[in-house]
Amino acid sequence: MPERDSAPRGDRPRTAAERDADHAGVDRLTSDLLPTLVARLAATGLGEVELREDGWRIRVRRPAAAQNPERPATDRPGRAQPGHAGHGHSPGALEGHRAPRVGAPSTNGSMPGPVGATLQGTASGAEAALTGGAIVTGGSVVTGGAVATSPAVGIFQPRTDLRPGAAVRAGDRLGVVDVLGIPQEIVAPVGGILGVSLVEAGHAVEYGQDLLRIELTGAGPADRDPA
Amino acid sequence: MFSKVLIANRGEIALRILRACRTLEIEAVVAYSEADRDSLPVQLADEAICIGPAEAKRSYLSVPAVISAAVVTGCEAIHPGYGFLSEDDTFAEVVRAHDLVFVGPPPDVLERFASKAGTRQLLGDRGLPTIPGSDGMLRDDAHALAEAERIGYPVLIKPSAGGGGKGMRMVRSPRELESAIKVARSEARAAFGDDSLYLEKWLEDTHHVEVQVAVDRFGHGVHLGERDCSVQRRHQKILEESPTLALSGPARNELAERAIRGVVAAGYENVGTLEFLVDGDGNFYFIEINCRIQVEHPVTEMLTGIDLVTTQLRIAAGEPLGFTQADVALRGHAIEFRINAEDPEHDFRPGAGIIERYLAPAGPGVRMDSHLYAGYEVPPYYDSLLGKLVVWGPTREVAIARSRVALDELIVDGLTTNISIHKALLGSDAFLEGRITTNLLDRVGSAAFIAAAARTGA
Repeated sequence: MPERDSAPRGDRPRTAAERDADHAGVDRLTSDLLPTLVARLAATGLGEVELREDGWRIRVRRPAAAQNPERPATDRPGRAQPGHAGHGHSPGALEGHRAPRVGAPSTNGSMPGPVGATLQGTASGAEAALTGGAIVTGGSVVTGGAVATSPAVGIFQPRTDLRPGAAVRAGDRLGVVDVLGIPQEIVAPVGGILGVSLVEAGHAVEYGQDLLRIELTGAGPADRDPA
Repeated sequence: MFSKVLIANRGEIALRILRACRTLEIEAVVAYSEADRDSLPVQLADEAICIGPAEAKRSYLSVPAVISAAVVTGCEAIHPGYGFLSEDDTFAEVVRAHDLVFVGPPPDVLERFASKAGTRQLLGDRGLPTIPGSDGMLRDDAHALAEAERIGYPVLIKPSAGGGGKGMRMVRSPRELESAIKVARSEARAAFGDDSLYLEKWLEDTHHVEVQVAVDRFGHGVHLGERDCSVQRRHQKILEESPTLALSGPARNELAERAIRGVVAAGYENVGTLEFLVDGDGNFYFIEINCRIQVEHPVTEMLTGIDLVTTQLRIAAGEPLGFTQADVALRGHAIEFRINAEDPEHDFRPGAGIIERYLAPAGPGVRMDSHLYAGYEVPPYYDSLLGKLVVWGPTREVAIARSRVALDELIVDGLTTNISIHKALLGSDAFLEGRITTNLLDRVGSAAFIAAAARTGA
């Protein structure tokens, strides 16, 4: 059982330039490398492939078990978020007509589509902000974690005593969404290792919005082919 | 004027409000439930925010969710549309407590008009005729007989605690009254735990006629004519038109004048509708007020050229009305057809599903207010209204001719709609002669109505 990681890290606010550079890096990695890695993983039957480049580490991993009994919350369809245009429409929807959303800030705008890996930025020592969450099916790779979602529309306040890397159990309180002064609990849907926040503390969130990623523990290389 | 408004509704009215906001260069945020993620208003909004799951109680009817959405998106006002929270005075009060503006009457005005009985008293005292009834609750048989005699038979016995027509009995003579009162008392006691009864005059074969009003914060009000909503099925309106055929020109004018004088005197504010029953002799009786925009508001917009939703927003923002009664001209004739996802052949069973094909009619005087598009999935959780076809003509005959063309053009494939009942109505003598009263469809039966229209080749 991993210990709770209470050491503060990555507290320095990131500058806009750093964020832009990170976004560019992530875009390049996801568009250039990820498909190749996913294909490689599918072809070899390996459990995990990792590649380091330019201070970035990209890891593509099979799910711990393809038929995880705790169905991860990431299976929900892509969704619109406040201040974030262009997600969540059915194929027949009028995508092109949407005006850019303004208003509520977006903090996780780096991943326009489903991505099949965990990306960790180590370049500037900040893990925050850039863990791509979702998961893909480039071939047979499904999910490697779950996401705690917002119970209500309000202001996101994660627990300050829980840092990325901390172990959490299913049902643990991860923070609250403040609805007109009344806190609504954010609960871990599964046990695992707390990933980074997908939304900055103090920002507006909508009902059902992805807030905190949880990596499944004990996720060694898969010992069987996912169905 | 507001710079940003939250639309706390869905479907065609969310789209209608969005368009009004755009017209006034107000940024619009659409609050939606998970079931409406792919809806047209959400797609067209400047911003959209999910406020809860499909269940209305936890989304469109959730006061904290709606207000929180307005607060976190930086809106200054909330437009409630119709239904949901639109006439909830407590909601309006909480909206104000969060320094937001409720687009509708201010909370104290809503509260004043919240009780139906209280509103009848309030407006009855200000010159509006109400349905004659007993002087309070019936004390005993002697009191009941005396009051019935005074009101005039037939009379309706109504339980004080009832609602929705439950426990009501109509009697035509003193003998019927005496026996019916005993039964009604025991029924009321069993159903509501309260056996208080009162009497109301029974009105047979009435038309439902309503007057549209707009009153600004400065007490300046206008009426915008009336609408006839007599074509109903189980108290649900399915077709509305203006002007009504139930009243002569001078009588229509008198009705509207008395309505606007009454509500202004009673301190009403913003857009509203006063509903009346009109009997066969042209007597009208006030029944209730709707303190919100109504589904059938486009009928009035077609006749007056006045945008009622921007008017609501401007009044709520504290602006003066900007026009007088003399500026209001009622031109021509308009008919609205409610297009619902329901099956007239099977007791109007509501439906849901994917719209496979959608074609809105067009042409002179034709307006279609709808949130449909091909590929849209109509969710099963809310009311069955898919849209409103509104057709204007310089005369009723032209409006009807254009309506036939428009209804033939309208295509909604993928689920069953009530378009057939509208085509049947346009082919029926009862409708063409303006003889449809509020209970006609229920008395004849809608299926029989459609079949009869088909036989006459309509």
